[in-house]
Amino acid sequence: MIPYLTKRLGLAAIVVMAVLLLLFSMLHMIPGNPAILALGTRATPEAIAEYTARMRLNEPVVTQFFHFLGNAVQGDLGQDVFSNRPVTAIIAERIGFSLALICTGMGWAVLLGVPLGCLAAVRPGSWLDRVTGIFSVGMIAIPSFLVSIWALLLFSLELRWLPAIGAGEPGDFADQLSHLVLPAFAIGLGWVGYLARMVRASMLEVLGEPYIRSARAFGLTPRRVVLGYALRVAILPTITLIGMGFGGLISSAVFAEIIFSRPGVGKMIFDAVSDRNFPIVQGGVLVATCFYILVVLISDLLIAWLDPRVRSSL
Amino acid sequence: MTLTNTTRRTFLTSAAALGAAGFFPGGVGMLRAQEGRVLNLRLDGDNSILDPGYMVGGTEIEAQKQCLPFLAEYVRDGDTFSWQPTAYVTRLEYVDDTHIEFELAPGLVWSGGHGTLKASDVAYSYARMKDSEWSGYFDALETVEVTGELTGTLVLNKPFAPFIMVTLCHGPGAIVCEAATEAAGGRFTTEFPAICGPYTYSATPGQRAVFEKNPEWTGPAPGFDRVVCHVITEVQAAELAYEAGEIDCTELGPDSLARYSKEMPENTAITTAGQLQYMWMGMNTQHPKLQDIKVRQAIQHAVDVDSILAGAFAGTSAKSHGIVCPGLLGARSDHGYTYDPAKARELMAESGVTGLELTLRTLNWQERLLTAQIIQANLAAIGITVNILPMESGPFWEMGMEEAGDTWQDLELWIMRFATVPDPYEATQWFISGQVGIWNWERWTDEEFDSLYDEGLSETDTAAREAIYVRMQEIMDATGAYVWINHEPETYAHKTSIEVVAAPSGELNYHRFKPV
Repeated sequence: MIPYLTKRLGLAAIVVMAVLLLLFSMLHMIPGNPAILALGTRATPEAIAEYTARMRLNEPVVTQFFHFLGNAVQGDLGQDVFSNRPVTAIIAERIGFSLALICTGMGWAVLLGVPLGCLAAVRPGSWLDRVTGIFSVGMIAIPSFLVSIWALLLFSLELRWLPAIGAGEPGDFADQLSHLVLPAFAIGLGWVGYLARMVRASMLEVLGEPYIRSARAFGLTPRRVVLGYALRVAILPTITLIGMGFGGLISSAVFAEIIFSRPGVGKMIFDAVSDRNFPIVQGGVLVATCFYILVVLISDLLIAWLDPRVRSSL
Repeated sequence: MTLTNTTRRTFLTSAAALGAAGFFPGGVGMLRAQEGRVLNLRLDGDNSILDPGYMVGGTEIEAQKQCLPFLAEYVRDGDTFSWQPTAYVTRLEYVDDTHIEFELAPGLVWSGGHGTLKASDVAYSYARMKDSEWSGYFDALETVEVTGELTGTLVLNKPFAPFIMVTLCHGPGAIVCEAATEAAGGRFTTEFPAICGPYTYSATPGQRAVFEKNPEWTGPAPGFDRVVCHVITEVQAAELAYEAGEIDCTELGPDSLARYSKEMPENTAITTAGQLQYMWMGMNTQHPKLQDIKVRQAIQHAVDVDSILAGAFAGTSAKSHGIVCPGLLGARSDHGYTYDPAKARELMAESGVTGLELTLRTLNWQERLLTAQIIQANLAAIGITVNILPMESGPFWEMGMEEAGDTWQDLELWIMRFATVPDPYEATQWFISGQVGIWNWERWTDEEFDSLYDEGLSETDTAAREAIYVRMQEIMDATGAYVWINHEPETYAHKTSIEVVAAPSGELNYHRFKPV
C-alpha cells in the first residue's frame, strides 16, 4: 500500500505542476496589458507601474511561475489585487460553501441513484427498469445550468417555496439549509442518472457471476445476495465514478453558484477571471486541482481497501 | 445535571422539525418582518477597498455615502442634476471663483471614540486625496484652509466651475477621520477605521454587506433600520431575485427594461438614475480610406440610428446628439447631420470613392454586435462594404493608443462608449489635441476646441458655459468623425413601496431611500 500511495502522490504533484504551468501560460497569453485589464482603461501610469511591479509582471514568466510555486509550498498564494487580502483567507471563506454544495449534491445523487440502479438490475426488463432507464438518460442529458434556471423559475419565482439567491443568514442553519436545496438539486440531478446507469450495468454483470449463483443455491435471501455480495463488488467502479464526479461537480457548481448567487470557490474564480484578478485565479485553480486529485486518490485507496485483488496487484 | 438521550426516533423528529422550519416558505420571512424596516438590495461584487483614495468605485462609493461624511450631494431638479449641502454641513458656498467656504454641523461623532467631525478632517482627507489614485479629481484644489474647529475654506488653484458637482458630491469627496486613518496606517481596505454616518457597515465576503442604524448618529434618521446588500454579480440573476421578492430594488439591463416597460411586474416602479454614458461610432480621420471628409460625412448620413435604438437596444436608450449626456449643461436636442441615404450616396459620388471596404471594430457584446450589423447593412446601401471585427476588451481598449502598438494606424471604424460625470467638462477632455493617440482615436485637432475646453473649466456663468459645450460638439460634428448613437440609462426596478435615490452615475444612496 505504501509504494502505491507514494507513486500516486508523486503523480499528483506532477499533475499539479502541469496544471499550474498551463494556467500560467494561458494567463500570459491573454491579449492586452494585464495591468490595464485589471485596473481599468483610465488607470494612471503610476498605478499601472505600481501594479506591474507588485505583481512582478515585468519579470520573465518562468521566474513568476517558480516564485508563485515557492510561495504556494509555504501556504502563501499571494494577495488579492484590489483588497490586498491574502488569497488563502479569501479561499478559506468560500471553500466551505463549495464543499457543502458538492457533498450535498453528490450525497443525494448517491442516495437515490445507487438504489435505483440496484432495483433496475434486480428486475431487468421490468417497468421499473425501463422507467429508470428513460429518466436516467434524461437526467444525464439535461445540463445542470438548465436545471438550475428551471428550478429557480419554478420553486423560487413561481411557487416561492425556496429562496432564489445567496447561502442563507450566517448562523441560521435552517435558512442555510433551505438555500442549499435548489443548487444541490440542480448539480446532483445528472449524477442520479449516471450512478443509476453505472450501478445497473455493474450489478447485471456481477449478478451473472458463478459465486452469486452459488450464494443463491445455498439458500441466502435475495436481499442478502444483492446487498451483501453483489453490490459490494458492483459498487467498485461506481466509487471511481463518484471520485471523478466530485471533481466534475466543482465545474458544475460554478453555474449553480452564479445562478443562485451563492458564494463558493467556482464563482470566486469566475469573478476573478472577469476582473483579471490573477492571484485569485491562480490560487483558486490550485485549490480546485488539489481537491480533485485528493478525491480521486481517496477513491482509489478506498477501492484498494475494498477489493483485495487491487491490493494484491500493487 | 440532566442528560438528554438522543434516540433514533428523537433525532428523526428533530431533523424533520428543522427541515420544516427551513422549507416553510413564510417562516424566515415572518422572522425577518419582526426585525424592523429592512431594505434588501443588490451588490454587484464585494467591496474590496473602502478607502476613497484607492477604491475601485461603484458600490464602494455607495458604502462611503452611508458611513462617511460628504460636504455636498446630488439633487435631481426635473430632468437635470444639481447639488445641495449635506446634513454634515450648515453652510457650503462659493465666496468667489476660487474659494468655497464650509461650516460643519456640530456634534457629529466618529465611531471608536475618535471625537467629533472637525474641519481638520476635511483638510486631511482632501490633502491625502491629492496624492491618491483618484488625485485627478483634486487637480483644481490648492489647499483646504482650516479657519475654526468646524469651519474652513476650499481654495482652488484656478476657477473650476464643476468642482462641487464632480468632486465633492462624488465618491472622492468622502471625508475620513484623521486620527483613525492614521492609526490604521494611513490606508484602509475592507473596514472603515471610523464611521460618521447614518449606518454602520459590516460585510461577509461573497455574501452580503449589512448596514445597520448607527446608534451614535445624530443627523437625520435614515428611512430603513437595516439595509442588507446581497452579493449578486450577474444582472440577470439580480432581476430573478427581484422577481422572487428577495430584493427590493435592482438595476435592469436593456432587455429587461424593455420587458418591464411592456409588462410591469406587480407593485413595481422604475427609476432612471441618469444617462451618463455616450456611445458613438468613430472614424479615424488620418486613415487613407477616411481622409476625405466627404466619405466620413456620407457615413454620418448613411447610418440609421433610430433603427439601432430599436433593434439593438429595444428602444430603451435615448438618442445621442453628442458627448454631453441628457440632463447636463450643453446637452443638445439635435445635431449637425441627419439620416439621409440619398445625401450619403451623393457625397460618396462627389468623393469619387468606389468599392470602399472598411473594418468596424467593436466589443463582442450582444448589443454592440447588433449595432455593428445594422451599421453594416446601412453602409452596404451606399456601396461601402463593412467587415465587423468583434474584440475582447483587452485589445479593444488599447487599439487606438500609440504606446500600445501599431493597431492605431489600421483603425478605420469602431463603436465606442464612454461613461462620464454630471458635468460636461469631463466628456470633452478626451478629445483635445493632447489626447490624439491616447483617447482621441479619431485623431483630429482643433485650436478652437482646445481653447473652449480651457474656457469651460473656468467659466462660472451657466449660460456661457452651456454655449461653450454646445459649440464644442458642433466642432466635433463638423469633423465628420462621429456618428452619435445613444445614451444608455442606469435604470432601477423597485417596489412601489420605496422611494429610490441614486446618483446620476447610478450609485444608490440607501440612507436617502424612503418607505412610501
